[in-house]
Amino acid sequence: MIKKTIEIVNKLGMHARPATMIVKAATKYRSDFRIRKEDMEINGKSIMGVMTLAAEFGSELDLIADGPDEEYLIKEIVELFASKFGED
Amino acid sequence: MMIMKGASVSSGIAIGKAKIIKKEVLHITRKYIKDHEIKTEVEKFENSITHVLNEIDLLIKDISQSKVHTDILTTHKMILIDPEFTSKIKRSITEKLMSMEHAVSEHFDEIVNIFNDMDNDYLSQRSSDYEDVAYRLLSYVLDKRTDRFGNLDENSVLIMEDISPSAVTKIFAKNICGLCTEKGSKNAHSSIIARSMNLPMLVAVHGLLENVKENDNIIIDGNTEKVIISPDKKTLGKYSKKIEQQKKEGDKLKKVLNFKAKTSDGKRIKLMSNIEIPEEIDQVIKNRSEGIGLFRTEFLFMDADEFPTEEQQFQIYRKIAEKCAPEPVVIRTIDLGGDKLSNLLNIGHELNPNLGCRGIRISLEYVSVFKTQIKAILRANMKDNVKMMFPMISCVSEVLKAKMIIEECKNELKEQNISFNPEIGIGAMIEIPSAAITSDDIAKECDFLSIGTNDLVQYTLAVDRDNETVSDYYQPSHLSVLRLIKMTIENAHLHNIKVAVCGEMASEKKYIKLLIGLGIDELSVSPGRLLMIKNEILQTDLGKAEELVRKIFNALEDEN
Repeated sequence: MIKKTIEIVNKLGMHARPATMIVKAATKYRSDFRIRKEDMEINGKSIMGVMTLAAEFGSELDLIADGPDEEYLIKEIVELFASKFGED
Repeated sequence: MMIMKGASVSSGIAIGKAKIIKKEVLHITRKYIKDHEIKTEVEKFENSITHVLNEIDLLIKDISQSKVHTDILTTHKMILIDPEFTSKIKRSITEKLMSMEHAVSEHFDEIVNIFNDMDNDYLSQRSSDYEDVAYRLLSYVLDKRTDRFGNLDENSVLIMEDISPSAVTKIFAKNICGLCTEKGSKNAHSSIIARSMNLPMLVAVHGLLENVKENDNIIIDGNTEKVIISPDKKTLGKYSKKIEQQKKEGDKLKKVLNFKAKTSDGKRIKLMSNIEIPEEIDQVIKNRSEGIGLFRTEFLFMDADEFPTEEQQFQIYRKIAEKCAPEPVVIRTIDLGGDKLSNLLNIGHELNPNLGCRGIRISLEYVSVFKTQIKAILRANMKDNVKMMFPMISCVSEVLKAKMIIEECKNELKEQNISFNPEIGIGAMIEIPSAAITSDDIAKECDFLSIGTNDLVQYTLAVDRDNETVSDYYQPSHLSVLRLIKMTIENAHLHNIKVAVCGEMASEKKYIKLLIGLGIDELSVSPGRLLMIKNEILQTDLGKAEELVRKIFNALEDEN
């Protein structure tokens, strides 16, 4: 299992398009993927979960991957967040 | 009586009864099933998911959809295949014995509530995605895909929160007299379509739905951008007269539908259309336009996250070309400023985008983007009726550069064994004063010229017409502009090529005699104006128009 903490850096926060991008990316991997924000933890392969996190600009998220390709999954997701999903 | 302001999409007037169409609410009965029905209920759920996914795929493949819309549709797909969603619904069916409709509607209600409780407005608006998906899924299951526009007739003024492009086409078939929306903007695709259909329409009327009741009398005035709810007798009388006038003129115009555009003394003026989006083609054909004099391609690039591929562009251009053949289709290469392309290109902030990297300058700076478009155009010319036109030409060297790139494109297509038509007419937009002044050199290198009057006036008189403080300085019939137009026409004729006007001047009745008198060969106007302009051409006498031009020049020259 790997855990990585990141901060939301795109101004609009986790709205539909970024959420779609995250779920699409995560679904490619076999590992489980969960996202935690404060006391809420959701399935990172569920768009409903990711969107209902209501993660705004500046929120901190824990990304937790568990499985055979967990490193690759985390790497791609972290890159997505860092790229601000092509916004700003 | 109550008057509300909006933004007018087209100039007409309409009087009718308000027909309010709200987002449809489905009534779901919270039913339970029996043990032996579990299997069929789960299958029903799976089948409806598959069906709705296919439906969304079809919409995504429709390449006339904007990128923003296809992004939304992709999100909707993700919502439907969400593992948490499907497993939860299946659990509700198998463990709680809920009917599928019951389970689905309860689930989406919960989600929408979560969104509504969010503090962040932007994020909480996303509940609309879930509402849309729930509607799609449940209306399919309930077989409730009824015609929402069933009770509309020619006396209806449709009142909605917002409207989609496909819905505009649908309601137009119902012959309604007007359309008014609380949201929306003048340049939305639905507005462009309404405009090309001459359907009186106002958008962005804030507070509309709160103030209109079903069957209220409604007046839409596109000229003054007003909606009048429950007008008093005097106002109603005044507008009824205006409508009568409008109708008389409309009937008169219908008579010229089958006429060829020519002056009363027999000079043919080719009358074509400007289009912004492919959906306008139906109006172009219906109004017997002689082809498309300006096919703007900006819709492909606006709000896009990535450039449209050669194949995507080819398919769109080909469809339009086939529908218009044998009449010409003039495709203008990308004419956007860097400010509009910041998603796609790394152009730094420009202090003065109108004088910056835009039009052909963008294309020559980002050659690979230009080549993709050129190749798609070359490939689309299978019926030999496509022409290519470059915007923002300031001197002949840009035309020469563009022509060299076209040759490179032809060679590359040949190497790839992709079929295309090597013969294609090339034209330049004359919209910068320097291009008009050197139009002799430019005409030598082109097969046609097209005068873009909006920019030509703006650049000649140094006035931004959208800036209200200086809008009085925006004078299309200023002597300087007329001289530039005249010079351009004379130079084109010297080299035996034709000149069109595709700017707004061509769509305004009052300038037609003037343009004909100046010697223009072709006019390209918005599809909704075709008949009006044709009627004006038919009433123009070339000799008298030329005389008029002489008089105007003399008078203006005396004035100075």
